[in-house]
Amino acid sequence: MKRSHQETYLEQQEAPSMAEYGKKLEGSSVVGGDDSIDELLAALGYKVRSSDMADVAHKLEQLEMVLSNDVVGSSNSFLNDTVHYNPSDLSSWAQTMLSGLTYYPDLDPTRVCDLRPITDDDESCCSSNSNKRIRLGPWCDSVSSESTRSVVLIEETGIRLVQALVACAEAVQQENLSLADALVKRVGSLAASQAGAMGKVATYFAEALARRIYRIHPSSAAVDPSFEELLQMNFYDSSPYLKFAHFTANQAILEAVTMARGVHVIDLGLNQGMQWPALMQALALRPGGPPSFRLTGVGAPSNREGIQELGWKLAQLAQAVGVEFEFNAITTERLSDLEQDMFETRPASETLVVNSVFELHPVLAQPGSIEKLLATVKAVKPSIVTVVEQEANHNGVVFLDRFNEALHYYSSLFDSLEDSAVIPGQDRVLSEVYLGRQILNVVAAEGTDRVERHETLDQWRRRMGSAGFDPVNLGYDAFKQASLLLALFGGGDGYRVEENDGSLMLAWQTKPLVAASAWKLAAELRR
Amino acid sequence: MSEKRIGIVEKSNNKRQRVTQDRPEFSINDHHDVLLEILRRLDGPSLCSAACVCRLWSAVARNDSIWEELCFQQVSPRPSLSLRSVVSALGGYRCLYFLCIRPVLARLPKLLWTRDQLQLSLSLYCVHYYERLYVGAWIGDAPPSSLMFLRKPVNVV
Repeated sequence: MKRSHQETYLEQQEAPSMAEYGKKLEGSSVVGGDDSIDELLAALGYKVRSSDMADVAHKLEQLEMVLSNDVVGSSNSFLNDTVHYNPSDLSSWAQTMLSGLTYYPDLDPTRVCDLRPITDDDESCCSSNSNKRIRLGPWCDSVSSESTRSVVLIEETGIRLVQALVACAEAVQQENLSLADALVKRVGSLAASQAGAMGKVATYFAEALARRIYRIHPSSAAVDPSFEELLQMNFYDSSPYLKFAHFTANQAILEAVTMARGVHVIDLGLNQGMQWPALMQALALRPGGPPSFRLTGVGAPSNREGIQELGWKLAQLAQAVGVEFEFNAITTERLSDLEQDMFETRPASETLVVNSVFELHPVLAQPGSIEKLLATVKAVKPSIVTVVEQEANHNGVVFLDRFNEALHYYSSLFDSLEDSAVIPGQDRVLSEVYLGRQILNVVAAEGTDRVERHETLDQWRRRMGSAGFDPVNLGYDAFKQASLLLALFGGGDGYRVEENDGSLMLAWQTKPLVAASAWKLAAELRR
Repeated sequence: MSEKRIGIVEKSNNKRQRVTQDRPEFSINDHHDVLLEILRRLDGPSLCSAACVCRLWSAVARNDSIWEELCFQQVSPRPSLSLRSVVSALGGYRCLYFLCIRPVLARLPKLLWTRDQLQLSLSLYCVHYYERLYVGAWIGDAPPSSLMFLRKPVNVV
């Protein structure tokens, strides 16, 4: 303690702000308010809980041993290069010093993975950390280079959390379930102490891994549809992803029907119909008067009354804005069961549009279904097909690859929710639950249960191309509208719209998350 | 308050005396159409202050045409008449201004107010109307609002 570490004294004023911040975290147990802080140490400026005293003393003894054994040169450079967050929290400071000093001298990227079962004893954890060298996704680059040692130490608990998660996933991949079980418990405890988006994502992934290990497959039939509706509505309200999807698709539709006297839209996933009011309003204000608008919504058979009611509400809105409106509902358990004759198309008087917002990827769960669905779509001869999907590859064959991709993807998503301070806390929690259900499905489910089979835009392009569709450029107006919409959301310029070969992507901090594209029938198939 | 004019009157005993004489009254509150025309030319914050003066002014300020003028102050060319019917069906210009346009202007102060922002605001307004219509029957908590993201951030401790 008396070893002069220059930064310690400088950063003491950080301590109260960290404690306040800890109190602000909702539902988080980072700073346990019940344990009393030792008064004598508090007078010196260190916050140590009375219950932790023995533990801290033990760690300081170890630290003393390690520092006295080390070569003076290497430990000095280590001490001078690093910055510790909140060194007044003695417990974690000692911990990071210990694990840092025992970890890095053994750094060897080529060492083979040697996983020993990790118990809760911190000492063995440190030494096993030093032997562990796991193949990581994007994070391993920062860990393996010596020059970024100091950067890594700052995010040290986050890195350990990620390492544990990936180790657990690897264990699951290798069917080593006892090791996976131990690791998942470790992840759980690490995640609970990690504040912010990382901790929340890790908690969901840990739960999903646990379900996979114990083979508890979440059955999609057990979902309460009104809760599902609440979650989706909340996600629509609190984040820009669904709004971006709807507004961009609407813009593409508007550009395709400028001259039409009648518009017929087939929505492959009606849900709450949040996309259509804005389109109807835009159609109502079209120079030259509104066209007639017919909507065919596709939904699940369990929600038949809900869909009818929705149609009624949309009709009320249409009457208010002065657009001639007609509504049809089609209920089907699976999209691939749709047949061309279910849709009454009137090609003479109406321009047909097919719209799918996050509805195509579940079809990939059954082999051969997507081809059948796209063939049906082709058969009705739409003027434009709008497709919005998640921009990620969560449909790989290898579980570990899927896991790493999903971890990266959902970390970005949770991060973006965290940063927009406009959303009240409980709405953010609901959005996280909504995303958490997707995480559960990607990680824990298999076979036909696994419906969150996201694929990247390039993969969808190949599919649409081979099904006989040509891409349609989304145009500058769509880009402008999307940029305006995102500028309205908080997040300090974290949200970006990117153009990708005529399609638009919504990205958070340069990581693309949602891709919107439009398609028309290939030239030789039109008429 | 009628204005009193100080006049000078010759009295019988040849002394001049100051007497107050009544002028015909003019009060803006008696001429609502003139008041309307004046309020129509105000900008947002001034209009809101004016609406707080008294009950009469508050009632006059509820006239939607004033808010229509405000919404389209910087947009040219003037939007079509069909827009008026659409907007009044969705709840009127006053609500449009408070719910959408004012927060959008606050968030994007540097941007020129063009048709694009107006179109976006209208779309958001329409979604809001629909959401209220659709979830109007929900019991329990306050219904969700798609315009939640436009509200000022609240410091939640």
